[in-house]
Amino acid sequence: KVSDESGSPLPGVTISIPGGKSGTVTDAKGIFSLSVTTETKTLRVSFVGYEEKVLQITSDNLGSIKLIPDTKAISEVVVVGYGTQRRTEVTGSITSVKGATVATLPVQSFEAGLGGRAAGVQITVPNGVVNNPPVFRIRGTNSLSLSAYPLIVIDGVPTFTGDVGSTSAPLNPLSSINPEDIESIDIGKDAAATAIYGSRAANGVVFVTTKKGRPGRPRISYDGWVGISSPNRLPKLLNARQYLEMKNEGLKNAGNANTYVPTLDAKGDTVDTKWMDVVYRKQAVSQSHNVNISGGTEISNYYLSAGYTKQQGILRQNDFIRKNIMLNLNQRLGKALSIGGKLSYSNENSLISGASGSLEGEAFASGGLARLAFLTSPIVAPYNNDGSYNVDDGYIGGGDNVLQTGIYNPKVLLDLDRSNVESNHIQANVYAELKPWEWLTLRTTYGGDYIFMNNDIFENAISGDNAASNGMANSIHSDYKRWIWTNTAQFDKTFNYHSINVLIGGEQQRDQRERYGLQRTNQADSYFNNTEGGWINDYSSDLLRRQNYLLSSFARVNYNYREKYYVSANVRQDQFSAFGENNKKGIFYGFSAGWEITKEQFWADSKLSEVFSGLKLRASHGKVGNLAGLGDYDALSLYRPVPYGGDPAIYYYQSGNPNLGWEVSKKTDVGLAFGLLNNRLTGELGYYYNNIDGLILQVPQAPSAGIPHTNTTSTIPVNVGKMYNKGWEFNVNFAAINKKAFSWNTSFNIAFNKNQITELSGSELTSIPFVTSSLEQTSVNKVGYPAGMIYVVLTKGVDPLTGRRIFVNAAGEDVYFDPAAQDKYKYADGKIASPVGTKDAVAYKNTNPKVLGGFENTFRYKNFELNVLLTYQTGFYVYYGSYAGMKDQRYWNNSIDVLKRWQKPNDITDIPRVVNGDNISNGSSFAIAANVFKGDFLKLRSVGLTYVIPETAVKPLHLTGAKVYVRGNNLAIVTKYPGPDPEVSSNGNNASGQGVDRNTLGNGRTVTVGLNVNF
Amino acid sequence: CQKDLLSALPTTDIPDTKAFDTPDRIASQAAGLYSVLKHGKFMGGKVLIANEVRGEDYTNERSNNVTLFATWKMVATGESQEVKEIWSQGYKTINSVNVFLAGMNAKGTSVAGKEASDSYIGEAKFIRGLSYFQLLQLYARPYINGAGNQPGLILYWEPHTVAGVYTRARSTVAESYSQIIRDLDSSETLLPKEAATATRANAFSAIALKTRVYLYMGMWDKVITEANKLVPATAPFESDAGYQLESNLRTVFSGKYTGEEAIFTLPNSEATNDFPGTQTQMAYYFNPAPLGGNREYNLRPEGIIGDAFWKATDTRRKLITTASGKNYMNKYISPDPYTDYIQVIRYAEILLNLAEARVRSTNALDPQAIALLNAVHGRSDATTIFTAASFDSPQDLINTILKEKHIELLGEGFRAMELTRLGLTIPTKSSIIPPTTPTTNNYVWPISSDELVYNKGCKDNY
Repeated sequence: KVSDESGSPLPGVTISIPGGKSGTVTDAKGIFSLSVTTETKTLRVSFVGYEEKVLQITSDNLGSIKLIPDTKAISEVVVVGYGTQRRTEVTGSITSVKGATVATLPVQSFEAGLGGRAAGVQITVPNGVVNNPPVFRIRGTNSLSLSAYPLIVIDGVPTFTGDVGSTSAPLNPLSSINPEDIESIDIGKDAAATAIYGSRAANGVVFVTTKKGRPGRPRISYDGWVGISSPNRLPKLLNARQYLEMKNEGLKNAGNANTYVPTLDAKGDTVDTKWMDVVYRKQAVSQSHNVNISGGTEISNYYLSAGYTKQQGILRQNDFIRKNIMLNLNQRLGKALSIGGKLSYSNENSLISGASGSLEGEAFASGGLARLAFLTSPIVAPYNNDGSYNVDDGYIGGGDNVLQTGIYNPKVLLDLDRSNVESNHIQANVYAELKPWEWLTLRTTYGGDYIFMNNDIFENAISGDNAASNGMANSIHSDYKRWIWTNTAQFDKTFNYHSINVLIGGEQQRDQRERYGLQRTNQADSYFNNTEGGWINDYSSDLLRRQNYLLSSFARVNYNYREKYYVSANVRQDQFSAFGENNKKGIFYGFSAGWEITKEQFWADSKLSEVFSGLKLRASHGKVGNLAGLGDYDALSLYRPVPYGGDPAIYYYQSGNPNLGWEVSKKTDVGLAFGLLNNRLTGELGYYYNNIDGLILQVPQAPSAGIPHTNTTSTIPVNVGKMYNKGWEFNVNFAAINKKAFSWNTSFNIAFNKNQITELSGSELTSIPFVTSSLEQTSVNKVGYPAGMIYVVLTKGVDPLTGRRIFVNAAGEDVYFDPAAQDKYKYADGKIASPVGTKDAVAYKNTNPKVLGGFENTFRYKNFELNVLLTYQTGFYVYYGSYAGMKDQRYWNNSIDVLKRWQKPNDITDIPRVVNGDNISNGSSFAIAANVFKGDFLKLRSVGLTYVIPETAVKPLHLTGAKVYVRGNNLAIVTKYPGPDPEVSSNGNNASGQGVDRNTLGNGRTVTVGLNVNF
Repeated sequence: CQKDLLSALPTTDIPDTKAFDTPDRIASQAAGLYSVLKHGKFMGGKVLIANEVRGEDYTNERSNNVTLFATWKMVATGESQEVKEIWSQGYKTINSVNVFLAGMNAKGTSVAGKEASDSYIGEAKFIRGLSYFQLLQLYARPYINGAGNQPGLILYWEPHTVAGVYTRARSTVAESYSQIIRDLDSSETLLPKEAATATRANAFSAIALKTRVYLYMGMWDKVITEANKLVPATAPFESDAGYQLESNLRTVFSGKYTGEEAIFTLPNSEATNDFPGTQTQMAYYFNPAPLGGNREYNLRPEGIIGDAFWKATDTRRKLITTASGKNYMNKYISPDPYTDYIQVIRYAEILLNLAEARVRSTNALDPQAIALLNAVHGRSDATTIFTAASFDSPQDLINTILKEKHIELLGEGFRAMELTRLGLTIPTKSSIIPPTTPTTNNYVWPISSDELVYNKGCKDNY
């Protein structure tokens, strides 16, 4: 009888006689019988997913054979695109992360949990809004105008990424995958590992493999956790008394006779509202539950899971709810044919009241809640004394104040508005695999990835952007549809010491997007708050219908000799509809080689072999492309319909570029993998150089040229830029202590990256500024510098004699700014100077981390396990734009730092004299260097303590295992950055505008407790 | 595989290769040029708002840079959103015309036929002339400053459809005006001489605009020549072309006016995308909340509404509304989605242009000028009738005509450019905003900072 480690019978286990031909398999009860001759001394017991056993035949050991799951075998297999390879055969740069690592993290999507776990992989969670796609970079920023997000391939189907919703609640399509359903995540970094994905591989490829059933009795597993998140490191603001003092001082300094006066509440006390408490949840509650059942035999297996999670954000009304099911099925039909498939469905709701101010393009939203929390004056309250909302003509009311005290009443926005998106996401694929001979595998796979979204927006008629239109409701339906059909043939042959593997294939992928909306304004009655209710005006909205098509063929050859010398080549041809008519076709390739040095005789003879258990040198070079984020019709010149006074009209809307083609990355990679002390210590040292050519840039055209645009600057996409990323990566894993009662595993990774733009557009254009949310120029791409430099006007503090801000203009001259004077800009000698502005900005500081990595330690003592992950990034700066707002001398509330303002000659401070209305001295009008800070940080990313409940305690409950755990996420941070979190991005994944913290919501810290039981 | 999918065309926009294929489509293109012109960031909103709030009549209520707070404070820089937006939307309009003209030349004229094509081309040139004129008022020193020898606009006639390095220096103000006149003269020739709907340009629109252009150049005789093509010699000044004053100005500002006083009007409608965008709508800026506005600006009691010349019984005061004790300009009345038509050129302006030009060219108490003044003033205030005896001097008469124009055109986007064309100081409007004299840097706007970055041939105003 054969059973698994818990004693359950294993059917379908192969029992054979080594060297012999006879054998059998176990029946449903795990029982087998095999007649053997007396010469037979041993039996081989083997089963997929379990460690093979070779048993000496004696009379007493065959009664009960226990097999142990082979965890090693799983980790030794790496997904490489249209197939798998054994880790030892891999000659490309691939980092693998086990699914279990991210399974129970309080994140909405798996990739948010990858930070610090793989060398060269940068994950930045851009803000505290739930279900926001993280900034995801592999070996630096590899694109400027297109997406720098890696290609995500889930079970062979490339999926959608980014924020696909149309509301203020972000919708990351990767959150449809329950992290608990993930078996492994393999991150391909170099050309060898990614070239098989040709034109989409330049940002790296992430292969996600979901769990499959394993032969054996059905296993049922439950995992659930509940957690609490709270805001962290919120800025400290003036209270009502301080506000009155500061603002009235500013009014006096401006020669303005008005004053701010306190408001009294119903009890007669002075109103002192802490708007942060109105906008943020002190304790956001989250929970997640997942059940799965899996099992199978040698010929068929299944994995079925169901999950539910509801996670609250630290912003009030911001929630993420996911319900999902997934089924993986595999069946062998006869000897040569197997079929199978996956069906995954998720229903996700991203909920928020309205703009948080944190998504790309939202930074200056008038109703941006993160900003309203620090901008709104503490001297006014959410409610009037009669209990009604404190609102005056759509804006927050000032009580007895004639002067403005804020923008909208955030309480009204939170209570009444919504900007939700519901997604129904189906990811499915079916395959048939025919193996007529041992050396040939034919496979066809058809996959679909369909997202159907309902966006549901309501803005009240009392206070907010749509108060003037008497309320607004908007329903937008949006479809993302992708199908992909892949056919491959694979040849495997081993003869003598030669092993060869050839793959050829063809693939088609079609995307269609459609979106339409109905927007209604002018509420007929305050009772109505959805699009279908009573409204006066109707408009179509958000219309879109697009498609693209990718037609590809590819091939790969792997060869090795004696598992000592390895070579591999990939080639792929892609044709893509979105490129210009002259440039639709591209060919991409990768070559690599590996040398297992320890297998050489000279090595085996040397003393080094006693130390090294493995040493492999590998190198690769190749050419890959990028097309992610390119508009489907960017290459075309178009006229768009628009009515003119009710008559039909079309206007020149877009100038295209018929030569638009691929972004091309030439990647070179060298790596040395080593194992010491019988592989107790393993690691890898790598060097890479990625030379990117033909970067597509949205090349700005002089406005006077009148090229059409939707913003203030006309741009045309052109393949003109050049950039490189180069650097080193190192990781090491060490099983430092491995005693029965106590073990300690430690791993450390570090990556050094240098990014530099080498060409933009010939000699004519050497820098392209980037504007955050169409309003503030914060960043620049400049030749000779890394991508997305912070672009600010230099400052030289505050003049101790006069309290004026000192700017440095483009000519390098000090210009003193006095907001109260008639001639506001003057040189030190009193001569009138030209106004300083963004034209005087300089490429000031780098925003790309030069060094990043993680340090993880796992301690096991008896039934306890403690896991601690630290992550760090250094060598970059962040523009803390919110801080400009927090020093703004209009009606805005301020940071308590403003109390240190200049008041009298010889005051040494960096806060200028306060003058009412001044929004220049502190950086609100244009970005200034005084608001740029070092972003370097060390984070206690996660701490987990797990207790495995002893077998003796769980057995009586008919459980095969159970554990309880406590986790803390984002518990502590060491940084000099004064804002809530240096891991921040006001511009989402936009590669040109990283390192900007403008009115965003900080990240929360989370503590969860969980339970995992197995039946 | 489906190779045709590799070159599938969009179904929602028309590719340039098919833009001149049918007469209907070319007609749609001609109408589309007006759509670009009437964008809220250009003639549909911000050009007018900028000229209003640079003047002395308003108080800003919102301290919001997006709604022209910096412009109102007279501290707008090349980076200010409105400075960049109006510049780029203006040139977008101009290039739309240039692309259209090139397309007509290459193919369109043969498809649409000569008669229709002449008309479309005349309209296109009118739109280009108007766009250059309005840009010139904001971004260049007035003609009076050195007789047009100051830097003017960057002038383009050729179409721009591909990425390139567009470097061109500014022409002088005089050269810019010459181009405007060339366009308008050509429009007058090409367009039919009939007062069809005011939402499309005709020969009279071009003539009327020329009276304004020549007035701004100080060429009084030319103003008179052009105006005489429209305005008869004597009261009640009912034009042979069919133009005349409405008896009540409110009729013109009742939302969707295209009647006999309208010479050129930009229409809006409730159809999607046929009204100005967020924070560019006239009624949004100037109306109080109960009327659907956002009360960005109220009328200063010390501004023109406080002037004793403007009598309490003058019916134009009915175009001012009050809320919370403050006064608001209420020529635009439609709440969201703000569909008021923009009156770009109306007959009353032409009468006053002619009146001013007559006094200045005759340097006398010109009787026709007084009659024209009476025609405009009398419609709203019948109790005041000016005679030669009402004025001490020709200059006194001119000042009265200017004040009349100030009152008559309040809210229509004239104030700042009416001051700068004469080299007058822009008065103070708040304790924190000193008067802006003609020699100061901020007397006109700087050039868009984007232009200075991407067109190295362009120099700023200071």
